[in-house]
Amino acid sequence: VKTLLRVALGVIAAIGGFVDIGDLVFNAQAGASVGYPALWALPVGVLGIMVFAEMSGRIVAVAKKPNFVLVKERYGPRLSTFTLVASLVLTVLTLAAELGGLGFVLNYFFDVSVPFFVLVALFAVAAAIYFLPFGGIERIFGYLGLALLVYLAASIKLDPDWGAIGRGFVPEAHGAAVYWYFVVGLIAAALMPYEIYFYSSGAVEEEWDEHDMTVNRANAFVGFGLGGLIAAAILVASTQVLKPAGITPESIGTVALVAQVPYGELGLILAFVGILFAVGGATIDTAFSAAYNLAQHQGWKWGKRFRLLDEPRFTLSLAGFLAAGFAIAQTGVDPIELTEYAVIFSIPVLPLTYLPILLVGNDEAVMGRFVNGPLARVLGWGYFGLICLLAVAAPVLFAWTNGGS
Amino acid sequence: VAALVAVAVLWSGCGGPMQPDELKRSIGTLESSAAEGALLANGVARDRTKATFVRVHARDLGETVEHEAEKLHDASAEGRVAFRKAAAVDLAGRISEALGNIQTAPDSRSEGRAAESSLTRLGDRAGRLAEGL
Repeated sequence: VKTLLRVALGVIAAIGGFVDIGDLVFNAQAGASVGYPALWALPVGVLGIMVFAEMSGRIVAVAKKPNFVLVKERYGPRLSTFTLVASLVLTVLTLAAELGGLGFVLNYFFDVSVPFFVLVALFAVAAAIYFLPFGGIERIFGYLGLALLVYLAASIKLDPDWGAIGRGFVPEAHGAAVYWYFVVGLIAAALMPYEIYFYSSGAVEEEWDEHDMTVNRANAFVGFGLGGLIAAAILVASTQVLKPAGITPESIGTVALVAQVPYGELGLILAFVGILFAVGGATIDTAFSAAYNLAQHQGWKWGKRFRLLDEPRFTLSLAGFLAAGFAIAQTGVDPIELTEYAVIFSIPVLPLTYLPILLVGNDEAVMGRFVNGPLARVLGWGYFGLICLLAVAAPVLFAWTNGGS
Repeated sequence: VAALVAVAVLWSGCGGPMQPDELKRSIGTLESSAAEGALLANGVARDRTKATFVRVHARDLGETVEHEAEKLHDASAEGRVAFRKAAAVDLAGRISEALGNIQTAPDSRSEGRAAESSLTRLGDRAGRLAEGL
């Protein structure tokens, strides 16, 4: 039980990754457009992130090396710099989308203006980062984000076709490009690189060592499992509510409306609370991930425990990334479109993110008795192959289907 | 660069008269907005929602519909596409009006019932209009 209560890191990393502002709408669009047949993509993606998160947490526990330290060690200067720049661009774009999303969500409660609430969100996130301890951030945003479990209750209350749901978990041969667009997008959303950046750096923040292997496994399996369950529940509930009505969700309000159908105002409020904290958690994930990556690549001291005067470069870069995200969000760009682009175009960066984890996890000289076993090796290389395939397929499908429309 | 831009413009179909599949996509947006508006209005009619949410979301849906109407209005079209395009512009105006009613009175159950019925009907009309395109 004590171990299960320490899964906040996995929960916030997963919620930030699977059910951020873009994925909430993407999951609902998959349900409204393709329906249950897209479901199988979720466990495929979830198992992949579980494998790599567990591996990266184990590497931190043994070797004390987070993801971008591995990138720098395993790649030459040019490739590691390219990986850094690509990851920073995509992470800051995602951060901007999350801040914009928070503005939209808060405006649904108070109806003032989205740009005003983007500013409020910036201050709230900055205050949470500055004043709360790392564990406090994880618990508040991770656990309150679990209000999104209202979609699980909604899916059950809406009396779904369990047979069709069961068949949805079996991959089927399908000719429609739109179907494959959503399948690839759902797998990719589960494997977003910043989840791993945040997870492995968070493990350093929590000072994991070899005694924390059970905590690592619980975080990887329970945390990401919960994220996947919520994503599946949103897809199922959207299939039940939106698909028969012919509604194509384009905004976060539509996703909240899905929870209102079975539970009225209570469902709506629970959905918005869950969305607010999930998107808030994703904002913090992405801001920290960008600052972690830069600091690790440059060899600076880094971590939440360092204050401005202890390590100004890390703290100022964190503030700088938040400011950059805010500036992009204030241009009025649609946060949903921005994250969809970020998901699709982050896929080519995925192999560069995951390869060093796999190489170090397989390296007995580094990992000793905690080296990858046969199952972890097979799953690791299998998923790496899948990631390479996605890296090619995703941009093509995006262009071919005009973004799934 | 100029050649690439020209190819992109030709590929996207910009510049020529509106094609049936473009009109179908546009009408699909109207149908989806009307159906979502009906769902929103149902919450108002049954007093199972939050007034601020209804106001903001109805406004967002209305803006989507108006944007689609502007695109339809500006596009040139020929033959049966032109006829259906004009009908779609008219439909967009009616959907926007019904959404405006729940935006103005998000806590009125009677307005909610009227808007739900009206938006359901308009959504069905949009579906029929898109048939055969």
